[in-house]
Amino acid sequence: MNDSRQAIELWNVTKTYELGEVKVEALRGVSFTIRSGEYVAIMGPSGSGKSTLMNLLGCLDRPTSGQYFLDGTDVSTLGDDQLAAIRLKKLGFVFQGFNLLARTSAMKNVALPLFYAGLSGKARNAAASDRLREVGLGDRMDHKPSELSGGQQQRVAIARALVNDPAVVLADEPTGNLDSQTSEEIMGLFHHLNQGGRTIIMVTHDEDVASHAKRIVRVRDGRIVDDQPTAQG
Amino acid sequence: MRISQYFAEAFAVLAANRIRTILTALGLIIGVTAVISIQVLGAGMAGAVSGILGAASDRTFVVLPNQQQADFTRAAIRLSDLQRAKDEIPNVIDAMPAGGQNLQAAYGHSHRRLTLGAGADERFATATPLRYGRKLSADDIVAGRHVCVLSDRAYTKLAISGDPTGGSLRVGDRRFTIIGVLGVDQTGILPISFNQDVTIPYTTYEREFARGRAILFARFLLQDPSRVEQTEADTLAWLKHIKGARVEYQTFDRKTFTKAVDGIFAGITLIVALIGAVSLLVAGIGILNIMLVSVAERTREIGLRKAIGATRFQILLQFFIEALSLSAFGCIVGMLFGILIGALVNDLAIVKLSGVVAPIPWLRSILIATGFATVVTLVFGTYPAWRAATLDPIEALRYE
Repeated sequence: MNDSRQAIELWNVTKTYELGEVKVEALRGVSFTIRSGEYVAIMGPSGSGKSTLMNLLGCLDRPTSGQYFLDGTDVSTLGDDQLAAIRLKKLGFVFQGFNLLARTSAMKNVALPLFYAGLSGKARNAAASDRLREVGLGDRMDHKPSELSGGQQQRVAIARALVNDPAVVLADEPTGNLDSQTSEEIMGLFHHLNQGGRTIIMVTHDEDVASHAKRIVRVRDGRIVDDQPTAQG
Repeated sequence: MRISQYFAEAFAVLAANRIRTILTALGLIIGVTAVISIQVLGAGMAGAVSGILGAASDRTFVVLPNQQQADFTRAAIRLSDLQRAKDEIPNVIDAMPAGGQNLQAAYGHSHRRLTLGAGADERFATATPLRYGRKLSADDIVAGRHVCVLSDRAYTKLAISGDPTGGSLRVGDRRFTIIGVLGVDQTGILPISFNQDVTIPYTTYEREFARGRAILFARFLLQDPSRVEQTEADTLAWLKHIKGARVEYQTFDRKTFTKAVDGIFAGITLIVALIGAVSLLVAGIGILNIMLVSVAERTREIGLRKAIGATRFQILLQFFIEALSLSAFGCIVGMLFGILIGALVNDLAIVKLSGVVAPIPWLRSILIATGFATVVTLVFGTYPAWRAATLDPIEALRYE
């Protein structure tokens, strides 16, 4: 998987919100490319447009203009259900607040995307337990989120993001709710996954966290102001 | 995307919120229980009534002059009229005075006032079973014998023990040989007995008791029971012909009773349907409310499900099936309670009174329960599910 195929291509993407009479230009023409197997951090102060960019990259929203190719598919003009299908097959999400289903075991949480993919219960559980072992939770499969530590919950969320074998893993402040030691563990896991060939895009405002990535894209006022490899890259 | 998986998910959610689920379903349970138990009771009552009415002969009808008419005397039916009727009205085999007289009767040393009335042979008698002896025969009628059949009431009032057939009953200065005793009248929930205390051949009754009196009402015996209505019309026309156009009469037959009873049951059914509609509305609003709460509570969860690739239809289906499971639960429990309570009350009250056991209307109960569940889900489950399906995933994920 560590080839030079383009995982993501953005061509002059803009996003404008109309709040009544006022037009808010959240993105004012963003172009960049992320190759398969890259580990990129997107940084920027609040209001810079990085959340909007993350939502677009995650196919939760459509650009106002410009083109977005995800894994070779132009997703900028797709309808809601087609975007849902893209999210299902090509993207994995990791959130700041974990977003696990309470009262549901780690295994069932990880298996959830495969439910919507239409896999049988057996196939779902098999894939889910593989991923849980991969993130080091092979012995916690039947635990509910409330019975797991914050770091373990985020590992479950990461396993869920990986279960459909996505082209890109999108992580939105993945260590925002964790203490520094646990954050290090999670960053270690991302590093490990990237070593294994996963394409990872992480949004953060924390320089320490961002320094784990191999490339940092800085956003300000809806534009990319800086795009540099890190010491890691 | 198998439908069974959605049901499994829905059951898990409903089981996790056990108290809330039961309280929400309670509205439906009560409504469906009420409607179905009344249905079961209604079926029991209808069965009992038609069973009782079935005991009355359908080969006779009764004619009586209206009380409120200009010339009641002219309208009065006389014995001579009845003798002409059997020759002149098609399908009428015979006509006899009906109704009874209260007379002093004696058996051995016991004296009682009893109703004495005219009766015809077995073909025209009620279906009340015999305890002893036999009913009136065609020979008894033709010969005008001094024989009588006692009702269960007369048997009890006269304090008779054992088989009295062959014994003698004194009425005034006349003696009648007892040829039979009827068993218990199964009047059930209707306080109507089709039997008088002492029944004697109508030929004997005419000769001994009716001569010279106006007849209160007359009973007509039919050849062909399927032509009751036509014969009633013919009889009324014939009476107007012999007594003048201004006379007014009423006729009663088994169908008249059945119609009255059917009318009562139609009324009950309508009221039950109204109760059903109200309880449906109340229970439905309860489910609508709880489903909206459920959607609001799980906004983030819905956002997550959408983010990981659930389509709008899949979300819609999930919440729709949750509402369906909730109402199906309520309706099935309500149906079982309804049948249980209905059958229990039916057994304790109606069957005991009437002796008629009506089958439980399973099919109708199942249809009612399914109908309730379907309507409630479609009307009140769709909107919350649609709300969930159309949530914006970005907003939903941000929801606190």
